Amino acid sequence: MPYVVKPGVIGVAIMPRIEGDGRSLEELLYDATQAVLKDAGITIEDVDGIVVASNDQYDGRAISIMAASGSVGGVDRDILSTPSAGEHAFVLGALRVACGQYRTQLVVSWSPTEASSIPEAQRLAADPYFHRRLPMDEQASHALQASALMAQVPGLDAAAQAVLRKNRANGGRAYPDLVQAPAQSGKPTRWPLPADSMAPPVTGVVAILLAGEDFVREQGRTDTAWIAGMGWTTEPAFLGDRDLGEAPALREAARQAYAEAGIDSPLDSVQVAEISDATPFQELMAYEALGLAPRGEWAALSEDNRFGANGSLPVNLSGGVTCLNPVFCTGLIRIAEVANQVRGRAGRHQKAGVKRGLAQASSGMAMQYQTVIVFDREEKGAAA
Amino acid sequence: MELLKRKEAWNITYTHALGETASWFYVQLRDHAKIYGKRDAKTGRVLVPPRSFSDQSLQPTTDWVEVGPGGRIETFSIVYEEFQNLPPPPYAFGYVLLDGADTAIGGFFKGVDLTDPKAASEKLKIGTRINTKFAEKRVGDVLDFWFEPEAG
Repeated sequence: MPYVVKPGVIGVAIMPRIEGDGRSLEELLYDATQAVLKDAGITIEDVDGIVVASNDQYDGRAISIMAASGSVGGVDRDILSTPSAGEHAFVLGALRVACGQYRTQLVVSWSPTEASSIPEAQRLAADPYFHRRLPMDEQASHALQASALMAQVPGLDAAAQAVLRKNRANGGRAYPDLVQAPAQSGKPTRWPLPADSMAPPVTGVVAILLAGEDFVREQGRTDTAWIAGMGWTTEPAFLGDRDLGEAPALREAARQAYAEAGIDSPLDSVQVAEISDATPFQELMAYEALGLAPRGEWAALSEDNRFGANGSLPVNLSGGVTCLNPVFCTGLIRIAEVANQVRGRAGRHQKAGVKRGLAQASSGMAMQYQTVIVFDREEKGAAA
Repeated sequence: MELLKRKEAWNITYTHALGETASWFYVQLRDHAKIYGKRDAKTGRVLVPPRSFSDQSLQPTTDWVEVGPGGRIETFSIVYEEFQNLPPPPYAFGYVLLDGADTAIGGFFKGVDLTDPKAASEKLKIGTRINTKFAEKRVGDVLDFWFEPEAG
């Protein structure tokens, strides 16, 4: 897709786990906005527009953009909301910069844990005609997907456990104060998913500042993560219409993003990746759909460690969703983590010499929404 | 300092219109214990549960097609968490491709002891043939039917 202006990420604030009741939700959004402005070295006066993403059911507040109007600087400013997914807010913000009508965009997504039950809140996403009467929350949809995949891939359990071990080790290094050891209850709540294969929901906020090439040049910035390619797609809402052991929407999103970025062989092109691993089974599915490892190679991954922290392509150096799970904004956090890797600002889990990074964000029932973003360290070669 | 919280519970009742297609489906289910799908004339696919249009061709669906009561399991899960407005857990549920259908319908599995999930999952293995069972007293709802493995 030809962009009028090259968009890039100039600021990131990731708050992947917020404890305590010292700040209200609106105050947390204010905190994240102040943090991302500071990271980018600009003020709210430099922000031309805002895109926010949250879930009304989790917020307990209809039209949850209202929570953001004051706290993220939306008063008297252009502000839109994408309730479908945090990563969709990023796509919209990036396109608004790319079209040349905005110099900058602030993107904010959040996910509180104030509802009495996140699973019950998720059931409202099911249609009231045929699915509302089923015990269908996102975790159950992930379990249905794992069942379908297990029937197609022998020995899948061991491969999934290896992914889980990798991500938990990464998470312990990246966020040692935030990642907790999984509860050892031993009782699965959504068979066939093992008891410890999903992280419990936590409160989180993430904010990203996007800017166009002219703005970046004016500011004299050298730590921009340029968007080299984007792709986003959606699968049918009725799970019975899908082969849950396949991820065609992700294949298509990857095809779009790679085509824009000029990538033929992703394994040879990117130095780091973040993948939405609501379950380790989904990370495996993403390996295949992203062209990183077909299912025939999954069994070997625990031995060759190619996606480990010291492997040829580290995946989820942040620890991923199986370590920290602020449910609604986990997709945007994957994008923020890769942007920071490319900017050289990922902190404890920074990989040296990252020139190009890959972010995959999925959300909804059994990975219904799929988004792929490729970031470049150098402006040259990025989508234009 | 003392930090306060405010607890709120909202109880709003929604009355959703099901539309002609879902209404006809549930009336057949309620009055005749039969499950029907609807055909996408362009692709020939029989959509179950029925929809008034195909989200692939965006054409209105045409004729009704009776499907089942036999079928095979496409996927399943056993859920041990309690949900509002549902019977007590554990629940075995999933998707079944009923004979004559091209898409799978969600429903509960019964007739399987769920005490040991590993043993239960053997009986609910993907590809297993099932029969659709119907409640004696039906109200026009997804809970009016469920699936049981043919082999028992």
